[in-house]
Amino acid sequence: MVNTQAEALGIIFPNSYDSLVPELVSDRSMSSIPFASRYRLCDFLISSMVHAGISNISLLVRNNYHSLMDHLGSGREWDLARKKGGLNIFPPFAQKNLKIYTGRIEALESIKGFLATQHEKYIIMADANMAINIDFKELIQAHIDSKADMTMVYRKQEIPEALLYPNSNFHEFYYTFDLDGTRVKKIYVNPKEHGEQNFSFNIYVCERETLIRIIDESYVHGYSYFTRDVIARHLSDMNVQAYEYDGYVAQINSVKSYFEENMRLLQEENLDQLFKGNSIYTKVRDDNPTRYVNGSCVKNCLVADGCVIEGEIENCVLFRGVKIGKGAKAKNCVLFQDTKVGDGASLEYIITDKNVTISPNKYLSGNDSFQVYVAKGQTV
Amino acid sequence: MGKEIVAMLLAGGQGSRLYALTQKLAKPAVPFGGKYRIIDFPLSNCVNSGIDTVGVLTQYQPFVLNEYIGNGQPWDLDRLYGGVHVLPPYQRASGSDWYKGTANAIYQNISFIERYDPEYVIILSGDQICKQDYSEFLAFHKAKGAEFSVAVMEVPWEEASRFGLMVTDENDKITEFQEKPKEPKSNLASMGIYIFNWDILKKYLEEDEADPNSENDFGNNIIPNLLRDKRQMYAFRFDGYWKDVGTIPSLWEANMEVLDPEHSGINLFDENWKIYSRNSGMTGHYVSGDALIQNSMVTDGCRIKGTVKHSILFAGVVIEQGAVVEDAVIMGGTVIKSGAHVKHCIIAEDVTIGENAIIGDEPEDGGVGDVATIASYVTIGAGAKIGPKAMVYESVKEGEEQW
Repeated sequence: MVNTQAEALGIIFPNSYDSLVPELVSDRSMSSIPFASRYRLCDFLISSMVHAGISNISLLVRNNYHSLMDHLGSGREWDLARKKGGLNIFPPFAQKNLKIYTGRIEALESIKGFLATQHEKYIIMADANMAINIDFKELIQAHIDSKADMTMVYRKQEIPEALLYPNSNFHEFYYTFDLDGTRVKKIYVNPKEHGEQNFSFNIYVCERETLIRIIDESYVHGYSYFTRDVIARHLSDMNVQAYEYDGYVAQINSVKSYFEENMRLLQEENLDQLFKGNSIYTKVRDDNPTRYVNGSCVKNCLVADGCVIEGEIENCVLFRGVKIGKGAKAKNCVLFQDTKVGDGASLEYIITDKNVTISPNKYLSGNDSFQVYVAKGQTV
Repeated sequence: MGKEIVAMLLAGGQGSRLYALTQKLAKPAVPFGGKYRIIDFPLSNCVNSGIDTVGVLTQYQPFVLNEYIGNGQPWDLDRLYGGVHVLPPYQRASGSDWYKGTANAIYQNISFIERYDPEYVIILSGDQICKQDYSEFLAFHKAKGAEFSVAVMEVPWEEASRFGLMVTDENDKITEFQEKPKEPKSNLASMGIYIFNWDILKKYLEEDEADPNSENDFGNNIIPNLLRDKRQMYAFRFDGYWKDVGTIPSLWEANMEVLDPEHSGINLFDENWKIYSRNSGMTGHYVSGDALIQNSMVTDGCRIKGTVKHSILFAGVVIEQGAVVEDAVIMGGTVIKSGAHVKHCIIAEDVTIGENAIIGDEPEDGGVGDVATIASYVTIGAGAKIGPKAMVYESVKEGEEQW
């Protein structure tokens, strides 16, 4: 058999860091948050994996996964509707665990039977809280070349503000680490230091057999968290290598950073970097092209299909099917799909969720440090 | 179990009157309306009307069309039984032949139709822009007890002599057929969309094939033969939007009409009658702070920094700063460099228009007039001038002129 496929399977944790953006995930998971005018966050990871020849991808969902299932369907749009492998969504297996998983170890334990029967040699694990167009082929190759037991992806950056000063609901972990060459020497859990550090992306590569062994050993000890409880304790007896990613990434850590990451794409060089190379797949909606009616005015915007623009928009990201009425103005806004802005209405620094209606002549405003979020289906 | 109705879509035409646009692709594959191809209309009509079995008869330059249709998934026509099938001429034990005419194309695929054992067959044309509910047409056909029905449009009397005309009695029964007559007796023009009872169609196709003098054409042979035998023939009046886009000016005009759905009647924004197409997979379009967009349609992947007025841009078009695009149809992947002026024209896919080049011009009378046309993959050099009557097949060098 001609083997053009990467010898890896992908595992994505769609609910990681949900608690950072409570508004945006009230009806969905982190992975299905709309981003960049026509995508969901998971599209970036899944497409990157598909482009690396990974055609066996599992999503271990925890809660609020209806929107994700609706979005992914059979996986056909990512070329993942396959007889072998393809797309698997694993809902929590409540009977066995009695409670929904908290950490990666428990989540992986619940699919251990599945993992044991797969054929791919390597496993890539990732969270879905970032839009990233990463070359997983290169990552796997680096892992093989370094003869590591485990490779983790990081970026030299400051710890995002939302993690340093989290909201009171935040009960998850983030990691930085010290390096000895490319080998990880020490992992810090929820550090509070400022300045550039080796910030973990929680993307791991290892052999499938290695992962199964780790799960077995950890589960009997009652460990929950893969990095905190296992990797951090075994840095002396495991060869854990670090792989630096220096490409474009949009990290979503708060509603504010969500807004800012959307706005950042209005600089064309950022848009080019995020979408360079292989295309990012997403669910097709068969919208007509966007129509700019006479009297419209548009400056510095990213706009998806299916919109009708009769008013003015400036510095906005518009998702599919947004309607901007006559004389309406939207400035510095992120408008999710099928938002209707009535005639003469005016919006500034607003994020509207799906199917929001802004009544005619209403004025709504946030500011550059606090964006007003309007929940799904609301009429203002 | 048989299918009630099978659609046969005639998509083999060369579309020679589209000149530069159909050098490398068949007419039904010509892009239209920002993100569609002409064939998306009949295919979407079929699936929206509940017809799930479609044979697409191809012959001329079929590769783009074949790849585009693929397994039919974008139109929901990937079915276990039925679905869309591309039907090129093929070799049989008794020899092989190109499709000699529209009727011969169907004749050669009788065995395809028989696999589905249909009661009715609808013959569709792959060169029209039209949103039509074929199930209404079929209901009419059944209610009249017809053996053959044709969809007709009322046209202005002064233009009637350009069309194939159906003369009918007060019950819409067809009494006479006039092909482009000098003195029209009717203003009901055939749209080239027919419903046949399958047994009748098969009988007349076989009879037609046996006639060595026949042109094997529906309009010239099959319909006159049906009339001769006084078959139950009815004309179904269609009053929605319909346009034959077989010429460059009509294609340009139909695209411009998409920009004015309130008056032209072609509404691509109808949630209940979506036109499906294969997706470009590109990101949303980006409009810079310097851009000006007026009364236009823009789709995924476009980057706009110049001025776009009353135009249609397909996926991935780039309009650089200072470029001006007006009354133009710009197909996918084309780049208009800074300072270029592009007016009243059709530019095919993956064309590069150099800096400060001038393409096309508005006709003096403000009508459709001449539409400059540039074939796909052509490069127009910086400062070149392309006149409004030009039909550009080959790249034009810097500073050259073509009229």
